[in-house]
Amino acid sequence: MSTVTIRAHAITRRFGDEQAVAGVDLEIQAGEIVALVGLNGAGKSTLMRLLLAMLRPDGGTAEMWGCPVADADRAVWSRVGHLIETPPRYGELTVAESVYSAARLQGLGQRPARVAAAAIITDLELDHWQHRATRTLSLGNRQRLGLAMALVHRPDVLVLDEPGNSLDPLGVVRVRLLLRTRASDDGVSVLVSSQHLDEVARMADRILLLHHGQIIGGLDPHGADVEHQFFQRLLEADRAERRPR
Amino acid sequence: MNAALEFELLKARRAGVFRWGAVVVAVGVPALSTGFFELVRLGGNSPSAAKAATMITELTLAGLLGTAGQVLSVAILMTAGIAASWSFGREFVDDALPALFAIATPRSSVAAAKFVVLAGWALITVVSTVILTVTGGLLVGLDMNAAAVQTASQVAAVGLLGAALAAPIALVSSWRRGYLPGIVALVAVVVVTQLVTALGAGAWFPYAAPALWMGMGGAAAASEVSIIQLLLPLPVAALAVVATLSWWRRAEAR
Repeated sequence: MSTVTIRAHAITRRFGDEQAVAGVDLEIQAGEIVALVGLNGAGKSTLMRLLLAMLRPDGGTAEMWGCPVADADRAVWSRVGHLIETPPRYGELTVAESVYSAARLQGLGQRPARVAAAAIITDLELDHWQHRATRTLSLGNRQRLGLAMALVHRPDVLVLDEPGNSLDPLGVVRVRLLLRTRASDDGVSVLVSSQHLDEVARMADRILLLHHGQIIGGLDPHGADVEHQFFQRLLEADRAERRPR
Repeated sequence: MNAALEFELLKARRAGVFRWGAVVVAVGVPALSTGFFELVRLGGNSPSAAKAATMITELTLAGLLGTAGQVLSVAILMTAGIAASWSFGREFVDDALPALFAIATPRSSVAAAKFVVLAGWALITVVSTVILTVTGGLLVGLDMNAAAVQTASQVAAVGLLGAALAAPIALVSSWRRGYLPGIVALVAVVVVTQLVTALGAGAWFPYAAPALWMGMGGAAAASEVSIIQLLLPLPVAALAVVATLSWWRRAEAR
C-alpha cells in the first residue's frame, strides 16, 4: 500500500501584489521522486518553503504524514531533510563540523552524529575538504556540503531546491544516483526543483510544471523531448490565460 | 550536551567577536583603570591627572575597583551588545536561517542557546575583569581589605547587569534581520542614556542605573540609586529574552 508523505491542498501564498503560489494541490508517495520545473519566479521555492513551514500559507494546507506542517514537532521534522536555495553558510566551521552539527540538530546523539557525518562526507566525496573551513570551499563543494547536511540523518522525506546547482557533471550524476538509491531502497520521498530538464527526466518518476504559482500539468520524464513538452505546456497555459471567458 | 547549545558554543569558540570582546574588556578595563589610577596617584597636577581624578574616589584598591566598575559598565554593554547583534543577526546576513526550519531542534531552542552562550561569556569576562583589576592593584602595591572585596562584588554585579542589558539588542537584530540594526540600536541606547542622565532621570533609566550606582555621576548620585532602580535591567532583559524567543518561534524564512 502506498503512503502519502507530503500533501498540499489548495495552498496559496501572496507577497504584496504578487501571487507566488495560487492554489496548489500536491501528493507525493513514499519512494517517489517528484520534480518541480518552471520558469524563474514560477513559485517553486515558495511552494517548497510552504511545505517546510518556512512560510505560512494565506490559504490551504500542507501536511507531512498527515500532520499539518504548522503543528509538526520534533518527531515529524527529524524525518525530513532539506536544502532550500543556498547551502548554509557558517564560514568559520569546517565541513566535518557543519555536517556533524546538522546531524546533532536533527536529533542524533554525539556518537551517531559523528558516524553519520563521516559516512555522508564519504558518499559525497567531501573527504578531502572535511577539515577545511567552509568559507574556503568552491561553490560546487558548498552545494555538496549543503546536500550532505540535508541527507546526514537519513531522512524519509527530502525537499531539495535546485540540488544540482553549481555541481560538476560527475557531482550531478553522483547526487542523482544517491537520491535514486535512497528512494528505491529506503522508500525516501524526494521533491526536487530544477531548471535542468534533461537531468530531472533522468532522475524523477514524475515531473510537475509550475507556472504563475499553479501546477499546470505534468511532463512525461520518459517522453521523447521533455524540453518540447515543457514549452508546449507553457504556451498552452499562456494562451488559455489570454483567451476571453 | 543539548544539541543547540553545543552548536552555539562551537560557533562562539570560533568567533572573533567573542574572543576579542573578552580580551578588550578583561584586559583593557583593568589596564585602563590602573593607568588612570596611577596617573592620579603619581601624576601630580597635570590636566590628565585632574580629569582622571573625577573617576577615582580614593587611592585604595576599592578606589581602583570603583574606577574599573565605571569603565566596565559601558565596555560590557558595548561588547555584549555587539556580540548579541552578531550572534543573532548573522543567521540572516549569512542566509543560514532556512536551515534552522523543519529540523528536530526548535528555533526557539537555538535562540535560547545563544542567550546561554552570551550569559556564560559575560560571566567569564566580568569575573576575569575583576580578577585582573585586583591583580593590577596588588602589583602597584595596593592592599586587599574588606572594602576592596565589597567593591569587587559591586563591580561584578554592575558588569553582569550591563551584559543583561544587551538582551534587547538581540531582539532588534532578530526583528530587523541583521546585525547592523542591532549595532544602530546599541548606539542609540548609549546616546539616549547620556541624554536621560543629563536631564536628571538616570536612576530610573535601566541603562544608566548600574553606572550611576558605580559612581559615574559622583558619590551623591550613587547613594541615591535604590535597589529597585538598580535591578530594573533584570526585567528588561527577561522581557527581551521572552520576546526574542517568541519571535524566533513565529518568524518566517522569507
